[in-house]
Amino acid sequence: MSRVVFDHVTKSFGDVVAVADLSLEVHDKEFLVLLGPSGCGKSTALRLVAGLEDPAEGNIIIGDRIVNNVEAKNRNVAMVFQNYALFPHMSVYDNMAFGLRMRRIPRRERDQKVLDAARMLGLQDLLRRRPGELSGGQRQRVALGRAIVRNPSVFLMDEPLSNLDAKLRVQTRRELVKLHRQLETTVIFVTHDQVEAMTMGARIAIIHEGALQQVGDPQEVYQHPANLFVASFIGSPAMNFFHSELRLHDDQLMAHSSGGRFPLSEEQARALAVLKEGKVIVGVRPEHILPDWEAEEGPEAGLDVVVDTVESMGHEQHVTFSAGDTTVVARLDAARSLQEGERLRLRIDRAHMHFFDPDSGQRIERE
Amino acid sequence: MDATDAAANQRLPLIAVARRLPQRLRGINRLGFALIFLIPSLVIFGAFVFYPLLKAVYLGFYETDPFGNQGDFVALDQYRTVLTSESFRHSLWITFLFALYTVPPGILLGLALALLANQKLPGISIFRIMFSSTVATSVAVASLMWLTLLNPSVGLLNYFLVEAGQPRIDWLNDLDWALPAVSATTVWLNLGLAFIVILAGLQAIPEELYESARVEGASDLSVFWHVTLPLLSPTLFFVSVVGTILAFQSFGQIHILTRGGPLDATTVIVYSIWQDAFQRFDYGVASVQAVALFLLVLGLTVIQIRFLERRVFYQ
Ligand SMILES: Nc1ncnc2c1ncn2[C@@H]1O[C@H](COP(=O)(O)OP(=O)(O)OP(=O)(O)O)[C@@H](O)[C@H]1O
Ligand SMILES: [Mg+2]
Repeated sequence: MSRVVFDHVTKSFGDVVAVADLSLEVHDKEFLVLLGPSGCGKSTALRLVAGLEDPAEGNIIIGDRIVNNVEAKNRNVAMVFQNYALFPHMSVYDNMAFGLRMRRIPRRERDQKVLDAARMLGLQDLLRRRPGELSGGQRQRVALGRAIVRNPSVFLMDEPLSNLDAKLRVQTRRELVKLHRQLETTVIFVTHDQVEAMTMGARIAIIHEGALQQVGDPQEVYQHPANLFVASFIGSPAMNFFHSELRLHDDQLMAHSSGGRFPLSEEQARALAVLKEGKVIVGVRPEHILPDWEAEEGPEAGLDVVVDTVESMGHEQHVTFSAGDTTVVARLDAARSLQEGERLRLRIDRAHMHFFDPDSGQRIERE
Repeated sequence: MDATDAAANQRLPLIAVARRLPQRLRGINRLGFALIFLIPSLVIFGAFVFYPLLKAVYLGFYETDPFGNQGDFVALDQYRTVLTSESFRHSLWITFLFALYTVPPGILLGLALALLANQKLPGISIFRIMFSSTVATSVAVASLMWLTLLNPSVGLLNYFLVEAGQPRIDWLNDLDWALPAVSATTVWLNLGLAFIVILAGLQAIPEELYESARVEGASDLSVFWHVTLPLLSPTLFFVSVVGTILAFQSFGQIHILTRGGPLDATTVIVYSIWQDAFQRFDYGVASVQAVALFLLVLGLTVIQIRFLERRVFYQ
């Protein structure tokens, strides 16, 4: 059993609250991704598990044991640091064997374990080199190797891919997922890169300003973001938000924003009845915005917009429109080219609208 | 350069050479320029290092008459007699003991203080300043201070001895204690420098290395042994080389504290040189010892570089 539990954990540095009342359970053998912008407290959360920081409040539980007062060396966790933190004066072999030596594993067994791990990671030929003589990708694998030889109960990884180039990163991402399947250990993987999080995580925990925003699988956090922060943080280009007012037109509830108006379904109207002030933030992802090439004027209204900029990605284009004083980004297929300054009308798929309470920022979900 | 010029170059090579002349001059100019910058240090080194060194070698070939004037040319005879003399062997031995008493303890103490001062504690910078303060203390001041501490009747050390029910010791006049006492003063005097250099070396070790060692299961002692010490090795090597040279050149504290006594118990080579040159006015004998000291320090430094440095890990 090697689950990891944060039980109302708080940690601050002076006035800065790095981790605020974090409660989160990482299941046994799970690959959990901690995702959040720079400075949100991801590393601090990880270091709390490693025993490199002490929580001010709350408990850290590994397995069934509260480890608040257990020293780092006795927690049987392994950590891969952002800059790998390899010992520069030791060979690759000695780096990987270090933890085993510290635990007084006999030499023969140690050699065997290091060789196995090296083979797994393709490091056999580099064992005698020093970290200074390795490429970034190789160092990263040595850091991983150092972690896996000890067969720890929990793996902690702090943005281990951030120093790799784009191609190597994609490749290593897959290798890590494969490795996790082989090792069957609990992994907590920290990243600020949402693509990394979406592609690797069985579950993603999104953190902002030290506080947990949402935990869920990639589909869940993408399709049902719990609040404005998650909605804006996940997805690229980011979700469009329309600050709107709810008004009735001939028994039809409409959300009016400065860019246009959206008719709402009865079901949506029922869900939005919880709002007292009649104000709502409507969120729409760029892929759910479509140009209405055969637009007709009418109550089935959309957004009247002007094309601002067009960024071509080859297979698709990201188009920025201005509608009144709001900016709207859409992901369109590249088939039809758009000119800057062109006027057109955008349609929005009603089923893909997200609603947020402007006061609390929380999602308003249809029952 | 236009087309007609190029044609002229081809026909008259001399003109081409003449045209390149300013470039040549610029080359010479640059050398001159470099020399201007080098001259101050060349003059200083020349006047105070190279010339005296050559002069010492030269003086070693001549005897000195009782009035301090240059006497007969004796080639290597003087070198042979001085270097095989009982008194030179004695001062050589004293010098080695002095280095042994000052360098290793100095490094160990400097390391210990630097490790203490490298902790992240409130107010630690006060201790850092205190520990490094001896670099700002002159040899004379330090010697006078220790002269008081070591004073047989009013010194603090003897006060403690008496409190502990032990007999007093006349530190600086005791045949067995004079050298250790002078050495202690020297360790204290050089401690600031060792401390500063070692602390700087410690602070250059990245925090994550300690952290990853701890996560890997290393105890504090193992972290020190496997991480701190290897990464500090270039610094310790530097301190040991510089410390050795400093030890071999120590003069002021010996002059003030013991004047080489009692019975030459603290007469290191430098002190013996000084006595021969400026009390006996035997410049020949002094010069021979000076040359020997120079070669000794050079040899020791080369040995340290050859053997110690192999164990040093440079980042
Ligand atoms: N040792 C420390 N002393 C003071 N403040 C700290 C310390 N460590 C972290 N902080 C602060 O705590 C907050 C969270 O830091 P943390 O390193 O956990 O962020 P992060 O999410 O890992 O960011 P990044 O993605 O940039 O690595 C930041 O505001 C940071 O400035
Ligand atoms: Mg971080």
